[in-house]
Amino acid sequence: MRERVLVAMSGGVDSSVAAALLVRQGYDVVGATMKLFCHGEDLPDRPCCSLDSVNDARRVCEQLGIPHYVLNLESAFGHDVVQDFVDEYARGRTPIPCVRCNTFTKFRDLVRRADAIDARWVATGHYARVIDGMLHRGLDPAKDQSYFLWGIDRRVLARMLLPVGAQTKAETRAIAHELGLELIAEKRESQDICFVPDGDHTRVIARTLGADTPALARGPLMLRDGTVVGEHAGYARFTVGQRRGLPGGFPEPMFVVAIEPATRAVVIGPRDELLGRGVVAREVNWLVSPAPDVGDEVAVQIRHRARATPGTLVRVSDSEVEVALEEPASAISPGQSCVFYDGERVVGGGVIALGRRELPVRAA
Amino acid sequence: MPEPVYFDHAATTPVREEVLAAMQPFFGPRFGNPSSMHRWGREARTALDEARERVGRCLGASPDEIVFTSCGTEADNMALIGVWRARRGEAGRRAAVSTPIEHKAVLGALHEIAKEGGEERLLAVDPNGRVEAASFDALVREDAAVCSVMWVNNEIGTLQDVPSMAERARSRGVVFHTDAVQAFGKVEIDARRTPFDLLSISGHKIGAPKGIGALFIRRGTPMEPLLFGGSQDRGRRPGTENVAMAVGLAVAAELAVAEREEECRRLEALRDRLESAVLARVPDAVIHGRSVSRAPHISNISAPGTESESMLIALDLRGIACSAGSACQSGSITPSHVLAAIGVSTDVAKAAIRFSLGALTTDASIDRVAEVFPMLVEKARRLAPA
Repeated sequence: MRERVLVAMSGGVDSSVAAALLVRQGYDVVGATMKLFCHGEDLPDRPCCSLDSVNDARRVCEQLGIPHYVLNLESAFGHDVVQDFVDEYARGRTPIPCVRCNTFTKFRDLVRRADAIDARWVATGHYARVIDGMLHRGLDPAKDQSYFLWGIDRRVLARMLLPVGAQTKAETRAIAHELGLELIAEKRESQDICFVPDGDHTRVIARTLGADTPALARGPLMLRDGTVVGEHAGYARFTVGQRRGLPGGFPEPMFVVAIEPATRAVVIGPRDELLGRGVVAREVNWLVSPAPDVGDEVAVQIRHRARATPGTLVRVSDSEVEVALEEPASAISPGQSCVFYDGERVVGGGVIALGRRELPVRAA
Repeated sequence: MPEPVYFDHAATTPVREEVLAAMQPFFGPRFGNPSSMHRWGREARTALDEARERVGRCLGASPDEIVFTSCGTEADNMALIGVWRARRGEAGRRAAVSTPIEHKAVLGALHEIAKEGGEERLLAVDPNGRVEAASFDALVREDAAVCSVMWVNNEIGTLQDVPSMAERARSRGVVFHTDAVQAFGKVEIDARRTPFDLLSISGHKIGAPKGIGALFIRRGTPMEPLLFGGSQDRGRRPGTENVAMAVGLAVAAELAVAEREEECRRLEALRDRLESAVLARVPDAVIHGRSVSRAPHISNISAPGTESESMLIALDLRGIACSAGSACQSGSITPSHVLAAIGVSTDVAKAAIRFSLGALTTDASIDRVAEVFPMLVEKARRLAPA
């Protein structure tokens, strides 16, 4: 009997082609679009519940001759992803909701749905690869999305299919044309966070925490030494490394170097104050077994689209890991992901808790 | 996979052959506009008038008491909003009363009335979805303009005591509407014997196509139109009449009335067999509204520990089509407002699956569900996170 695969379909070109490739490879493919949030009447010019995406996915499935379902994961997504997103900003950090969506929504909740329909496999349109049960970067460096996948349960790797991960975006589009999926073949890449469609994350924060939340209240702009040099309109509007929105008049360009929610202070400084030699990451997850240990060398990536640079693990516990960077990294932003690689292979990762300016030393 | 089976007749039904045949000429040579004075117009007018008479007869009504609408929703909207607007001028009648278990077509109309300054009142219902008499007497008073109670609930099949409620509403001067979309063809309906003022039906639930419904409006009922334009249907419902569909509705309605008793007996036996078979293998299954009189075509079953959405998908993948709650525009399942209103706990409500029986239901299709559904319940329970 053909093996069944549940494909998460957003209505975009990547997941549509993923589904099409699986059909071509002979799988028993079931398409599903996850309904993750509802704008309701908040955004009158946008259809509620990502309706366009659902319709596109449905039409692609119809064209492929496979069933399509809408899965309502709104409540779990709201709790696991949206609430955390807002809480992280309130803690003065800059979260990546896509990481949590992959960890909790796509590769946990969706896998449960797959179990319910006897699907041996789950598939997505991610640009990453599973080779010998281990997660690797996507073949196209410009599209690689492995940075967002470090948090998934290692046991799920054995059930994951990432059909577009071994090709370039151009190849994906070409396949879409070749398969006659004209509806979505040239669809624009979405750059926004899906539940922040107008690009203004402060609206989500205000809606969830109230417009009077301290995260969006005025606070001091200060230098490292405590000198107040101005005022800002809410620390949740800033991220470490940000330059936009800061006052001029300093001898050199100034950047956000820290956010201190307790005092609502946004600390700014010149570029060299952004440099760090160590990273502490929490909520650590390993995708290899046995897990790495103190003294192991890893390649460290602290931002999407940043280069991974050499580092050494200096402290490893169940929940926390600290890594010493061989060369200084700029703007180690709390809330972003710190992902460890071994060549193309993803070893694991964590959420950046803090960056250290001094080179950390290995615990004795 | 064996041939798929259809258990969603409360959502829609296939168009009957007799209906299709009767409509055919109006997509061909008899294409005229009933408002035209020439022979094509006259032909269409004759067919339309005849359809109106036939639908009227099925309801115990005169032809002039029948308005064709585009669907059940339009009929419900027209009934509530049309009456409410027409009675706006009457001092002290500002309330519109209904139940929390109505179809959205009625609840939506009620919200619209509230926006226009009306007072929205919802009757209390018991755990089986029956309107509580005390609540009816308390809320349907001389200060209400209109009251609407659905005859057969579309999710759980519960029957309301429409004759008694219509009577009591009338004695207080309240216009009484009933949404009979699921009741028609299942319950005996006679406007001469039951004093409802308005009654909605829908074609596609009884073997006519989607896109046609009808509203019975008792003579003398205050009513303002929702659409404005020509003088079709005495100005009550402007717009060129859908002759073919009206003819289709008339044929389907006559067949449904003629077959009602026998078909109800048949469906009841099938439904009882389905429910006993499920209970035999899933003894803790909850069958909503089971202890009161129900229409024979709806069986709403919750197997605690399962979830409707996954169950529906698993059933569909095994070729069994049914439904749950109401679908939002995206097609995702949202929890049923009906089950919430009758006090079903969230855990049980989120497991609800509605099997609705009808023309396509046979002994063999019942056997399929009796075999597959309990198996999927067991499987879902095994997988459920502790």
